[in-house]
Amino acid sequence: MKNVDVRGLSCPAPVVSVKRALEEAGGELRVLLDDGAPRENVKRFAQGRGYLVQEEATEGGFALTLTSSAEHQPQPKGGVATGPAVLLIGSDRLGDGPEELGRLLMRNFIMTLVELAELPDRMLFINTGVLLTAAGSEVLEALEALGNRGVEVLSCGICLDFFKKKELLAAGGVTNMFTIAESLLGARSVVRL
Amino acid sequence: MRFSVSGLNSKEQIVVRDGDYVAIFNSIHRVMEAEKLLKGKRLAILLIPAPRTLAADCGLAIRYAEEARAEVEGTLAQAGLLPKELYRRIGEDYTKVGGDL
Repeated sequence: MKNVDVRGLSCPAPVVSVKRALEEAGGELRVLLDDGAPRENVKRFAQGRGYLVQEEATEGGFALTLTSSAEHQPQPKGGVATGPAVLLIGSDRLGDGPEELGRLLMRNFIMTLVELAELPDRMLFINTGVLLTAAGSEVLEALEALGNRGVEVLSCGICLDFFKKKELLAAGGVTNMFTIAESLLGARSVVRL
Repeated sequence: MRFSVSGLNSKEQIVVRDGDYVAIFNSIHRVMEAEKLLKGKRLAILLIPAPRTLAADCGLAIRYAEEARAEVEGTLAQAGLLPKELYRRIGEDYTKVGGDL
Protein backbone atom coordinates (compact mmCIF):
# COMPACT_ATOMS: atom_id res chain seq x y z
CA MET A 1 0.00 0.00 0.00
CA LYS A 2 1.31 3.43 -0.88
CA ASN A 3 1.83 5.97 1.91
CA VAL A 4 1.61 9.72 1.78
CA ASP A 5 2.60 12.05 4.59
CA VAL A 6 0.90 15.44 4.57
CA ARG A 7 1.54 16.35 8.20
CA GLY A 8 2.43 19.97 8.67
CA LEU A 9 0.83 21.07 5.40
CA SER A 10 -1.91 23.65 5.51
CA CYS A 11 -5.19 23.45 3.58
CA PRO A 12 -5.78 22.83 0.74
CA ALA A 13 -2.36 21.19 0.21
CA PRO A 14 -3.30 17.91 2.01
CA VAL A 15 -6.28 17.29 -0.29
CA VAL A 16 -4.29 18.18 -3.41
CA SER A 17 -1.45 15.80 -2.40
CA VAL A 18 -3.89 12.99 -1.59
CA LYS A 19 -5.70 13.50 -4.87
CA ARG A 20 -2.44 13.24 -6.79
CA ALA A 21 -1.37 10.15 -4.82
CA LEU A 22 -4.72 8.46 -5.47
CA GLU A 23 -4.40 9.14 -9.17
CA GLU A 24 -1.00 7.47 -9.15
CA ALA A 25 -1.65 4.69 -6.64
CA GLY A 26 -5.21 3.75 -7.51
CA GLY A 27 -6.64 1.15 -5.10
CA GLU A 28 -5.42 1.82 -1.59
CA LEU A 29 -3.61 4.64 0.13
CA ARG A 30 -2.54 5.37 3.69
CA VAL A 31 -2.43 9.05 4.59
CA LEU A 32 -0.68 10.51 7.61
CA LEU A 33 -2.13 13.88 8.49
CA ASP A 34 -2.88 16.38 11.21
CA ASP A 35 -6.15 16.38 13.11
CA GLY A 36 -8.66 19.17 12.47
CA ALA A 37 -9.27 20.72 9.05
CA PRO A 38 -6.79 18.51 7.10
CA ARG A 39 -8.36 15.33 8.51
CA GLU A 40 -11.91 16.54 7.88
CA ASN A 41 -11.17 17.81 4.36
CA VAL A 42 -9.29 14.70 3.21
CA LYS A 43 -11.95 12.43 4.66
CA ARG A 44 -14.77 14.33 2.96
CA PHE A 45 -12.87 14.48 -0.32
CA ALA A 46 -12.16 10.71 -0.33
CA GLN A 47 -15.71 9.80 0.65
CA GLY A 48 -17.03 12.11 -2.03
CA ARG A 49 -15.01 10.13 -4.56
CA GLY A 50 -16.42 6.83 -3.34
CA TYR A 51 -13.50 5.68 -1.16
CA LEU A 52 -13.97 3.86 2.12
CA VAL A 53 -12.15 5.70 4.88
CA GLN A 54 -10.73 4.07 8.00
CA GLU A 55 -9.28 6.34 10.67
CA GLU A 56 -6.81 5.65 13.43
CA ALA A 57 -4.96 7.91 15.82
CA THR A 58 -1.20 7.75 15.50
CA GLU A 59 1.67 9.49 17.14
CA GLY A 60 1.47 13.15 16.26
CA GLY A 61 -1.69 12.94 14.17
CA PHE A 62 -4.01 10.60 12.35
CA ALA A 63 -3.74 7.92 9.71
CA LEU A 64 -6.49 7.46 7.17
CA THR A 65 -6.63 4.37 5.04
CA LEU A 66 -8.48 5.01 1.80
CA THR A 67 -9.78 1.99 -0.04
CA SER A 68 -11.55 2.15 -3.35
CA SER A 69 -15.06 0.77 -2.89
CA ALA A 70 -16.77 -1.51 -5.41
CA GLU A 71 -18.91 1.22 -6.86
CA HIS A 72 -16.00 3.63 -7.21
CA GLN A 73 -15.08 4.02 -10.85
CA PRO A 74 -11.93 6.10 -11.19
CA GLN A 75 -12.18 6.02 -14.97
CA PRO A 76 -13.46 9.23 -16.53
CA LYS A 77 -16.86 9.38 -18.11
CA GLY A 78 -17.00 7.92 -21.61
CA GLY A 79 -13.91 5.83 -20.92
CA VAL A 80 -11.90 7.38 -23.77
CA ALA A 81 -10.09 10.53 -22.68
CA THR A 82 -8.01 10.14 -19.55
CA GLY A 83 -6.51 13.52 -18.66
CA PRO A 84 -7.81 16.07 -16.20
CA ALA A 85 -10.72 18.43 -16.80
CA VAL A 86 -9.06 21.84 -16.98
CA LEU A 87 -10.47 25.29 -16.50
CA LEU A 88 -8.20 27.90 -18.08
CA ILE A 89 -8.75 31.35 -16.64
CA GLY A 90 -7.00 33.80 -18.92
CA SER A 91 -8.34 37.01 -17.45
CA ASP A 92 -9.69 38.49 -14.25
CA ARG A 93 -12.81 39.36 -16.25
CA LEU A 94 -15.56 37.19 -17.66
CA GLY A 95 -16.88 38.11 -21.08
CA ASP A 96 -16.43 41.23 -23.17
CA GLY A 97 -17.88 44.53 -22.06
CA PRO A 98 -17.44 46.97 -19.21
CA GLU A 99 -14.43 46.06 -17.05
CA GLU A 100 -16.32 46.50 -13.83
CA LEU A 101 -19.05 44.10 -14.92
CA GLY A 102 -16.51 41.59 -16.25
CA ARG A 103 -14.65 41.51 -12.93
CA LEU A 104 -17.86 41.11 -11.01
CA LEU A 105 -18.96 38.24 -13.25
CA MET A 106 -15.65 36.42 -12.85
CA ARG A 107 -15.79 36.68 -9.06
CA ASN A 108 -19.37 35.50 -9.14
CA PHE A 109 -18.45 32.58 -11.39
CA ILE A 110 -15.63 31.34 -9.13
CA MET A 111 -17.74 31.63 -6.00
CA THR A 112 -20.56 29.79 -7.73
CA LEU A 113 -18.24 26.87 -8.56
CA VAL A 114 -17.99 26.14 -4.83
CA GLU A 115 -21.67 25.23 -4.81
CA LEU A 116 -21.46 22.81 -7.72
CA ALA A 117 -21.19 19.05 -7.46
CA GLU A 118 -19.07 18.58 -10.60
CA LEU A 119 -15.74 20.42 -10.50
CA PRO A 120 -12.71 20.70 -12.77
CA ASP A 121 -9.58 18.79 -11.72
CA ARG A 122 -7.35 21.76 -12.34
CA MET A 123 -7.75 25.52 -12.66
CA LEU A 124 -4.96 27.31 -14.51
CA PHE A 125 -4.69 31.08 -14.07
CA ILE A 126 -2.78 33.04 -16.68
CA ASN A 127 -2.33 36.70 -17.64
CA THR A 128 -4.60 38.94 -15.50
CA GLY A 129 -6.23 35.74 -14.23
CA VAL A 130 -3.41 35.56 -11.65
CA LEU A 131 -4.80 38.67 -9.98
CA LEU A 132 -7.53 36.33 -8.72
CA THR A 133 -5.06 34.12 -6.85
CA ALA A 134 -2.99 36.91 -5.33
CA ALA A 135 -3.42 38.71 -2.02
CA GLY A 136 -6.31 41.15 -2.11
CA SER A 137 -8.44 38.97 -4.39
CA GLU A 138 -11.99 38.45 -3.22
CA VAL A 139 -12.17 34.85 -4.33
CA LEU A 140 -9.42 33.47 -2.08
CA GLU A 141 -11.96 31.96 0.27
CA ALA A 142 -13.68 30.25 -2.65
CA LEU A 143 -10.37 29.01 -4.10
CA GLU A 144 -9.42 27.50 -0.77
CA ALA A 145 -12.77 25.72 -0.62
CA LEU A 146 -12.24 24.42 -4.16
CA GLY A 147 -8.76 23.24 -3.18
CA ASN A 148 -10.25 21.39 -0.24
CA ARG A 149 -12.50 19.57 -2.67
CA GLY A 150 -9.54 18.44 -4.75
CA VAL A 151 -9.28 21.16 -7.37
CA GLU A 152 -5.67 21.98 -8.16
CA VAL A 153 -5.20 25.74 -8.41
CA LEU A 154 -2.14 26.81 -10.38
CA SER A 155 -0.94 30.26 -11.42
CA CYS A 156 1.46 31.14 -14.19
CA GLY A 157 4.79 32.21 -12.69
CA ILE A 158 5.69 34.59 -15.52
CA CYS A 159 2.36 36.35 -15.08
CA LEU A 160 2.76 36.71 -11.31
CA ASP A 161 6.21 38.15 -11.95
CA PHE A 162 4.88 40.57 -14.57
CA PHE A 163 2.26 41.94 -12.19
CA LYS A 164 4.78 41.96 -9.29
CA LYS A 165 2.63 39.48 -7.41
CA LYS A 166 5.21 36.71 -7.06
CA GLU A 167 5.48 37.16 -3.32
CA LEU A 168 1.76 37.72 -2.98
CA LEU A 169 0.38 34.44 -4.28
CA ALA A 170 -2.36 33.53 -1.80
CA ALA A 171 -4.12 30.52 -3.35
CA GLY A 172 -2.68 27.36 -4.86
CA GLY A 173 0.75 26.97 -6.39
CA VAL A 174 2.94 28.44 -9.10
CA THR A 175 3.40 26.69 -12.40
CA ASN A 176 5.34 27.12 -15.61
CA MET A 177 4.53 26.94 -19.30
CA PHE A 178 5.59 23.29 -19.57
CA THR A 179 2.95 22.24 -17.09
CA ILE A 180 0.38 24.59 -18.60
CA ALA A 181 1.01 23.27 -22.11
CA GLU A 182 1.02 19.63 -20.94
CA SER A 183 -2.15 20.15 -18.94
CA LEU A 184 -3.97 21.66 -21.89
CA LEU A 185 -2.80 19.10 -24.44
CA GLY A 186 -3.34 16.15 -22.12
CA ALA A 187 -6.72 17.27 -20.79
CA ARG A 188 -9.90 15.33 -21.39
CA SER A 189 -11.64 18.70 -21.55
CA VAL A 190 -10.61 22.34 -21.43
CA VAL A 191 -12.96 25.19 -20.67
CA ARG A 192 -11.41 28.55 -21.39
CA LEU A 193 -12.72 31.67 -19.72
CA MET B 1 -40.29 32.98 6.19
CA ARG B 2 -37.68 30.19 6.02
CA PHE B 3 -35.76 28.62 3.21
CA SER B 4 -33.55 25.59 3.56
CA VAL B 5 -29.95 25.58 2.40
CA SER B 6 -30.05 23.42 -0.69
CA GLY B 7 -27.59 21.38 -2.69
CA LEU B 8 -24.42 20.27 -0.98
CA ASN B 9 -24.10 19.70 2.72
CA SER B 10 -23.64 22.70 4.95
CA LYS B 11 -19.91 22.13 5.47
CA GLU B 12 -19.35 22.70 1.78
CA GLN B 13 -21.32 25.93 1.71
CA ILE B 14 -18.55 28.24 2.72
CA VAL B 15 -19.82 31.36 1.06
CA VAL B 16 -22.44 32.03 3.71
CA ARG B 17 -21.61 30.91 7.22
CA ASP B 18 -23.95 30.26 10.08
CA GLY B 19 -25.12 33.58 11.49
CA ASP B 20 -24.19 35.63 8.40
CA TYR B 21 -26.59 38.09 6.81
CA VAL B 22 -27.42 38.03 3.12
CA ALA B 23 -28.81 41.23 1.60
CA ILE B 24 -30.56 40.91 -1.74
CA PHE B 25 -31.09 43.89 -4.00
CA ASN B 26 -33.48 44.19 -6.88
CA SER B 27 -31.00 45.39 -9.48
CA ILE B 28 -27.40 44.86 -10.49
CA HIS B 29 -26.83 48.63 -10.40
CA ARG B 30 -28.04 48.93 -6.82
CA VAL B 31 -25.96 45.99 -5.61
CA MET B 32 -22.84 47.39 -7.31
CA GLU B 33 -23.46 50.83 -5.87
CA ALA B 34 -23.99 49.35 -2.42
CA GLU B 35 -20.77 47.34 -2.67
CA LYS B 36 -18.78 50.41 -3.72
CA LEU B 37 -20.22 52.46 -0.88
CA LEU B 38 -19.58 49.84 1.80
CA LYS B 39 -16.09 49.03 0.57
CA GLY B 40 -15.31 52.73 0.50
CA LYS B 41 -16.01 52.67 4.24
CA ARG B 42 -13.82 49.58 4.61
CA LEU B 43 -16.65 47.51 6.00
CA ALA B 44 -16.26 43.73 6.05
CA ILE B 45 -18.66 42.76 3.30
CA LEU B 46 -18.44 40.44 0.31
CA LEU B 47 -20.39 40.44 -2.92
CA ILE B 48 -21.50 36.84 -3.42
CA PRO B 49 -23.73 34.81 -5.71
CA ALA B 50 -27.19 34.87 -4.15
CA PRO B 51 -27.88 31.48 -2.57
CA ARG B 52 -29.96 29.40 -4.95
CA THR B 53 -32.85 29.10 -2.53
CA LEU B 54 -33.18 32.87 -2.29
CA ALA B 55 -33.63 33.40 -6.02
CA ALA B 56 -32.81 37.01 -6.77
CA ASP B 57 -33.34 38.76 -10.08
CA CYS B 58 -29.72 39.77 -10.45
CA GLY B 59 -28.31 36.69 -8.73
CA LEU B 60 -26.05 38.71 -6.45
CA ALA B 61 -26.11 39.50 -2.79
CA ILE B 62 -23.99 41.18 -0.14
CA ARG B 63 -22.84 39.08 2.79
CA TYR B 64 -21.81 40.40 6.19
CA ALA B 65 -21.48 39.19 9.73
CA GLU B 66 -23.35 40.31 12.86
CA GLU B 67 -20.44 42.53 13.95
CA ALA B 68 -20.76 44.66 10.81
CA ARG B 69 -24.54 44.70 10.68
CA ALA B 70 -25.30 48.04 12.34
CA GLU B 71 -22.78 49.97 10.29
CA VAL B 72 -23.63 48.26 7.01
CA GLU B 73 -27.34 48.77 7.33
CA GLY B 74 -26.92 52.31 8.68
CA THR B 75 -24.76 53.23 5.68
CA LEU B 76 -27.20 51.69 3.22
CA ALA B 77 -30.19 53.39 4.84
CA GLN B 78 -28.48 56.76 4.68
CA ALA B 79 -27.79 56.32 0.99
CA GLY B 80 -31.30 55.09 0.24
CA LEU B 81 -29.88 51.72 -0.78
CA LEU B 82 -31.56 49.35 1.64
CA PRO B 83 -31.85 45.83 0.23
CA LYS B 84 -35.06 44.44 -1.14
CA GLU B 85 -34.79 41.44 1.14
CA LEU B 86 -32.57 40.58 4.06
CA TYR B 87 -31.97 37.07 5.31
CA ARG B 88 -29.91 35.53 8.07
CA ARG B 89 -28.52 32.05 7.87
CA ILE B 90 -29.24 30.09 11.01
CA GLY B 91 -28.19 26.47 10.88
CA GLU B 92 -29.59 25.00 7.69
CA ASP B 93 -32.18 27.73 7.12
CA TYR B 94 -32.32 31.26 5.82
CA THR B 95 -34.74 33.33 7.86
CA LYS B 96 -36.08 36.56 6.47
CA VAL B 97 -35.18 39.34 8.86
CA GLY B 98 -35.83 42.47 6.81
CA GLY B 99 -36.86 44.10 3.56
CA ASP B 100 -40.25 43.63 1.89
CA LEU B 101 -42.10 41.31 4.20
